[in-house]
Amino acid sequence: MKKKSIQKILLGLILPILIVVAWFLATNYGNIPSGILPTITKVKDSFQELVHTGTLQKDLLVSFGRVVKGFLMASLLGGVLGSVMGMFEPVRDLFAPIITVVRQIPIIAWIPLIILWCGIGEVSKVVIIVIAAFFQVLVNTESGISGTPGKYVEVAQLYKLSPWETFSKVYLPHAIPQILVGLKLALSVSWMAVVASEMLAATSGIGYRMSNARSMMRADIVIVCMIIIGIVGIVMDRLIGWLFGLLTPWQKYEKKEK
Amino acid sequence: MTESREIEKNSEKDFIINIEHLNKKFIVDKQPLDVLKNINLQVRKGEFITIVGHSGCGKSTLLKIICGLVGYEDGVVERNGHAVVGPGPKCGMVFQEHRLLPWLKIKDNVGFGLKDLSKEEREVNVKKHLELVGLAGFENSYPAQLSGGMSQRAAIARGLANNPTILLLDEPFGALDALTRIQMQKEILSIQEKENTTMVMVTHDIDEAIYLGDRVVVMSARPGEIKDIITTDPIESKSRGSATFASYKKTIYSYFFEDSQEDYEVEYNI
Repeated sequence: MKKKSIQKILLGLILPILIVVAWFLATNYGNIPSGILPTITKVKDSFQELVHTGTLQKDLLVSFGRVVKGFLMASLLGGVLGSVMGMFEPVRDLFAPIITVVRQIPIIAWIPLIILWCGIGEVSKVVIIVIAAFFQVLVNTESGISGTPGKYVEVAQLYKLSPWETFSKVYLPHAIPQILVGLKLALSVSWMAVVASEMLAATSGIGYRMSNARSMMRADIVIVCMIIIGIVGIVMDRLIGWLFGLLTPWQKYEKKEK
Repeated sequence: MTESREIEKNSEKDFIINIEHLNKKFIVDKQPLDVLKNINLQVRKGEFITIVGHSGCGKSTLLKIICGLVGYEDGVVERNGHAVVGPGPKCGMVFQEHRLLPWLKIKDNVGFGLKDLSKEEREVNVKKHLELVGLAGFENSYPAQLSGGMSQRAAIARGLANNPTILLLDEPFGALDALTRIQMQKEILSIQEKENTTMVMVTHDIDEAIYLGDRVVVMSARPGEIKDIITTDPIESKSRGSATFASYKKTIYSYFFEDSQEDYEVEYNI
C-alpha cells in the first residue's frame, strides 16, 4: 500500500522535473530572449523582489478580498435560490429554463457588459465573480436538494416536521456533499474570474500585476504570478476538501460499506 | 336487549383503529385503479394484527392510510375515535427499509420525532428505547455502521420513542435473514407485551403472520379486499411446530391457492 503511494508520487513528479530541466536547458544553452522566457534564477529573483517590496502580498490580498466578497455573495444567493428550487417544483419550473440558457454564456463574455454597467472599479470585479460562482452553487444545491429520496421526506411527514425543520434536518444534510462540490467549483471559477477581470481592467490585484508585467516585457513577473495563482488555487481547493470531511462525518462510513 | 346494545357501544369505544367501508383508488395512466375495496377492520387496544397478502395487494397503502401519510376519499378511518386527517405522534410507523437518516447519529435518529422534550428528557427517552431494542451503547454510531438487523431495531426504537398507542409495521423484517428475523419476531412480541402498544404489521411471511398476530387478516390482490380474518390461539400460535399452527397455515395457504388455481386452468386450456 505504502509502496504504491510512493510509486504514485514518483510517477507524478516525472513530468514537472522534465519541464524544469527543459526550461533550464533552453534558457541557459538556447538562444531565447529573457522577454519571452527568463531563466529560472531570474524568476526566483523576481519572486524575492516582489515579496521583499510587498507588491506580491498587496496584490494577492486585493485579489483575495474580491474573491471572498464575490464568493460569499454568490454562495448565499445560489444556496438560497437553489434550495427553494430544489424543494418546490413550481419555483424550479419558473427559473430552470432561463438559468439553463444564461449559464451557457462564458464568464469572459460578461465582462464588457459589466464594465459598461459598473465601470472598472471594485464593484465590477465582485459582480463578475458573483456571476461566475453563482451558477455553480445554484445548480449543485438544486440538484442535491431535489435529489433527496422521498422515503426520507416521508419520515419527516410522519413526525410532522415543519417545512423549515424538514429542510434543515432532511433536505439540507442530504444535499451537503453536493453543495460542497458546488462551492469547490465556485471558488475555483471565482479565482479564475478575478484574474481574468483584473487583466482586462484594473489598477490592482494579481491579474493587473500580470498584465502590467506583460506590457513591460517582464515574462519573469508573469511566470511568478502564474505559479502563485496555481498555488493559491490548490490551497483553496484543499481547504474546501477539509471542510467536506468536517461537515459530513457520516460519509466515511458509507464509503467503507461499499 | 338494551343491555347488549350498551355493551356493544362500549366495545366500540375500545376500538383504537376503526375502518369501515374504505375504498381507495389510484389514478394510473389516467385510469382509476382499485387498490382497496370495502375494507372493514376494527382493532382493539393492545391487539397485534398481522396482514398477509400478495405483493401489490394494497397492504402498505392500507397502513399509510391508517397513519395518515396517504389520503382516502371513501369510507371511515378512525384512530382513537377520531377521523384520520394526517400523521400524529400517537401513531408510529416502521418501514420495510429502516429509513434511518444517514446523516444523524443513532441517538438523533431515535429521537427524531421528540420535538417537545428538553434535551435531558430526550436523552433519557432515547436511552430507554435503545435498551429496549438491545442497542444500548450505539448512541453515537451512524446508521452506516450498523448491520441490517441492528438498523431495523433502531427504526423500531424510533417508532416507539414518542410512546405511540399504535405502531404500524410495514414488512419490517422483510430484508433480514431467517435467523435474525425469528429473533426480531420474539423481540417485537416481548416489546409489545411490555409497552402494550397496539401493533398492525404487514407481512408476506405466513409463518410470521401466525406467530405474531392475535388475528391474521388475509387480503386478496387487485383490488385489495379482506378475504378472511383468522383469530389465532394465543398459546398454540406461538409454537411453530404445533398441529394448530399447521392448520392455520393450511387455511391461509388455501386462500392464495384458490387464486392461483384459476391460473392453472387457464394454462391448461392453452
